[in-house]
Amino acid sequence: MGDVKLIIDGTEVSGPSGMTILEAANETDINIPTLCHRPDLKPEGNCRICVVEVEGSPRLVASCHTPITEGMVINTCTPKALAARKTVVELLIAGHTGPCVTDECAKDCELHYLAAELEVGPPRFQVKARRSYPMETLSPYVQRDMGRCILCRRCVRACTEIAKKNVFSMAYRGFHSKVVVDCDVPLDKEECRDCGICIDYCPTSALTKPNKGVS
Amino acid sequence: MPEKKILTKNCGKIDPGDVSTYEAEGGFKALEKTLRISPEEVIAEVKASGLRGRGGAGFPCGAKWELARKSKGDEKVLICNADEGEVGTFKDRYLLQHDPFSLMEGMAIAGYAIGAGKGYIYLRSEYHYLLEGLQKAIDQSKEKGYLKDLEIEIREGAGAYICGEESALMNSIEGKRGESRFRPPFPPESGLFEKPTIINNVETLVNVPHIIQNGSEWYGAMGTDESKGTKLFCVSGDVARPGVYEMELGCDLKELVMDLAGAKEIKMIQVGGSTGGIIPSDMLSTPLAYETILGSGAVMVFDQTRDVVDFTYRTMEFLNEESCGKCTPCREGTEVMVGVLGRLVNGEGVDGDMEVLEELSDTMKLSALCGLGQTAPVPVLDTLKYFRKDYENRISQSVFLRSLKTVNG
Repeated sequence: MGDVKLIIDGTEVSGPSGMTILEAANETDINIPTLCHRPDLKPEGNCRICVVEVEGSPRLVASCHTPITEGMVINTCTPKALAARKTVVELLIAGHTGPCVTDECAKDCELHYLAAELEVGPPRFQVKARRSYPMETLSPYVQRDMGRCILCRRCVRACTEIAKKNVFSMAYRGFHSKVVVDCDVPLDKEECRDCGICIDYCPTSALTKPNKGVS
Repeated sequence: MPEKKILTKNCGKIDPGDVSTYEAEGGFKALEKTLRISPEEVIAEVKASGLRGRGGAGFPCGAKWELARKSKGDEKVLICNADEGEVGTFKDRYLLQHDPFSLMEGMAIAGYAIGAGKGYIYLRSEYHYLLEGLQKAIDQSKEKGYLKDLEIEIREGAGAYICGEESALMNSIEGKRGESRFRPPFPPESGLFEKPTIINNVETLVNVPHIIQNGSEWYGAMGTDESKGTKLFCVSGDVARPGVYEMELGCDLKELVMDLAGAKEIKMIQVGGSTGGIIPSDMLSTPLAYETILGSGAVMVFDQTRDVVDFTYRTMEFLNEESCGKCTPCREGTEVMVGVLGRLVNGEGVDGDMEVLEELSDTMKLSALCGLGQTAPVPVLDTLKYFRKDYENRISQSVFLRSLKTVNG
């Protein structure tokens, strides 16, 4: 227990300064759904699913990267926060390709779990054209189907921070942002050996071991 | 209220390529005065003046400087944001082109106040033709000994709208992908290369010498309670005399666009750039100030011949193109909005389109990572509020057109 005191969902919590809201909540068994965040990776705050309401703040704040401050009053499940989370999940489902519902990959798709947890049905939104990229099967270690990518960048961070390989980076902007290798070439690099860390960190089935999981 | 030339008083009078003409107009006197007082006194003076950021967000300038001054760290950085990417804004260009020395003086004062040894000017790529003149102004000021403690370097952008956002701007200077960072930590604590950093707009910095020279009381007497001083307004669109107008804050929008710029038969005005709010023709007497509507100072006039849904579609298309793609609400939200608005424009709207737009707007406003995503829905929400009928017409037209197709097979 640390020196910063705050209230999360009516419970008084304390933690050391520098701790994030998410960490503080987890210590008291308050569940905040996350997607792009993993405890062993640096927070990036790009998916915006872990948003919570902080009293006095006009906007929702992402709990994975916001440090706790003295006297903060946080509510994790207000209608505003829930509505935003649901919309974000709907947007992610609407934008990515993949026969998620029928595909056998759905059984270990985190986005699917989230959709079920947040009671998100078929998305109300449509994009003109969903992301669609050719399957990359060149590498014997990682098969990439970027149409299923939801741009959480966990693979980018895992490869950089854990495997220390820096194989992936981001390219293009807006809706067309993409996790790329070099100047957007199919993955087939000397550095990328059989570590498979990126596959473990991929929440959907965008990254898989070749000949497994994708029909 | 007529024009009040303070920031632009030297424009056209001095030779932007010759520092001695600026000195002849009383230039660098404020810097001399600054160096006689302590940095804390400079900050107190700026704080007392009530100067707020002129880039659009309107954060109190003195408070920001104080944070950076107090922040731990030997090396502090001053960045002048000359990215001016906001649509319809061209005030910084006007200042850079006609009076670059005022900026040098402002930066020297700011650098002294916060204790920065390194200064950057982040110039937008489209202003490449200003680079030479600006570098000349730096060199001349340096030669004269005005930039003794501050080394100023110009960095050019690469044409991204998002890089005018302070955290994306810092990423860009660091050589990274131009994407927003999450906050906290705020730049005065940890900014460029994780050093305490102050990022000020060109116009904000140009205000500083005048405040120091004439005192905060003089400055505070201009404007409204929460918006002090004068502001450069960039009037464009359907007006007879587009251009930069300097007015006291709190001035009448109607006077600016009709009397000074000569607009007729106004339908609406967008204030503050592409993510700025919309003022319909019956609200023209709105005062321009931070407490009402201001943004970057862009005032874009649309007359009766313009179509509201078309306008919203084009604005959203721009924001969609310029979204950095980091956070979901902005990246996916703008894409969906472009789709919906595009259908409306093409006569393929359906019932419920307006509700989808509103629903998305709420989420984007509340949960997007940076200012772009948070304010991207503003024009949509404002046009829906003031011109709902236009949207309804588009949808009913679409429904009618479809029914014709069904009848005719």
